[in-house]
Amino acid sequence: MSETENATASVPPDEARRMVVDARGSWCPGPLMELVRVIQEEPVGTEFELLSSDEGSRRDVPLWLEKAKHQLIEVRAESGFDRYVIRKTH
Amino acid sequence: MAEDAAPPIEQMAVVLTENSADKLLPFATLVSGAIAMGLRVDVFASYWGLEAFRAPSASAPPTVSPGHGEAGARLETRLREKNAPNWKTILEMARSLGELHIYACSQSMDILGLSPSDLDPIVEGVTGVATFVDRTRAANVTYFI
Repeated sequence: MSETENATASVPPDEARRMVVDARGSWCPGPLMELVRVIQEEPVGTEFELLSSDEGSRRDVPLWLEKAKHQLIEVRAESGFDRYVIRKTH
Repeated sequence: MAEDAAPPIEQMAVVLTENSADKLLPFATLVSGAIAMGLRVDVFASYWGLEAFRAPSASAPPTVSPGHGEAGARLETRLREKNAPNWKTILEMARSLGELHIYACSQSMDILGLSPSDLDPIVEGVTGVATFVDRTRAANVTYFI
């Protein structure tokens, strides 16, 4: 069973365009791969909350967003993981 | 205008010759990182690297290469305890997100007595070395694992 497969994505009912991508426990570059996948799948304008406990994500995720030209709205350190708020811009 | 032109596709070439968890996991991780960053990745699986893609062994539990003594045994235990992702699952995810091509080395196929049906379907074909080199001659990044 892969850690990457454990990552789940869900849409809160009252906020249809904000999606939580819980990749906690997934190893580098699992959280980034989850983000790449959901950004490919979801429409422009969708916001994502990526949850990652992988230290590598702290540089990898902003670097990827800069290259892919999507927006990093916020990074918040929580207990044992980081929350990346991201908007698909194109 | 220049800045509107699509950037050229970058390419990573990997020659894989090993078949142990401590090589296959870093290999798969490297490939998926490159796919995430938008590179095309071409892999040439040779010798033990080709063994890794033999159908049943591709999903076998992680085995560390010999010669690491206690540290090797500890790593195997850690990988199992931490429920490490299977290297081939990582590759399959990478392939679903970008352009990943995996070729079997034709010389290794001959020496190991393998036919294409022995290999995991993620391997897209059997290739001679000259063809692989030609496909990757412009690669920006090259690894030998």
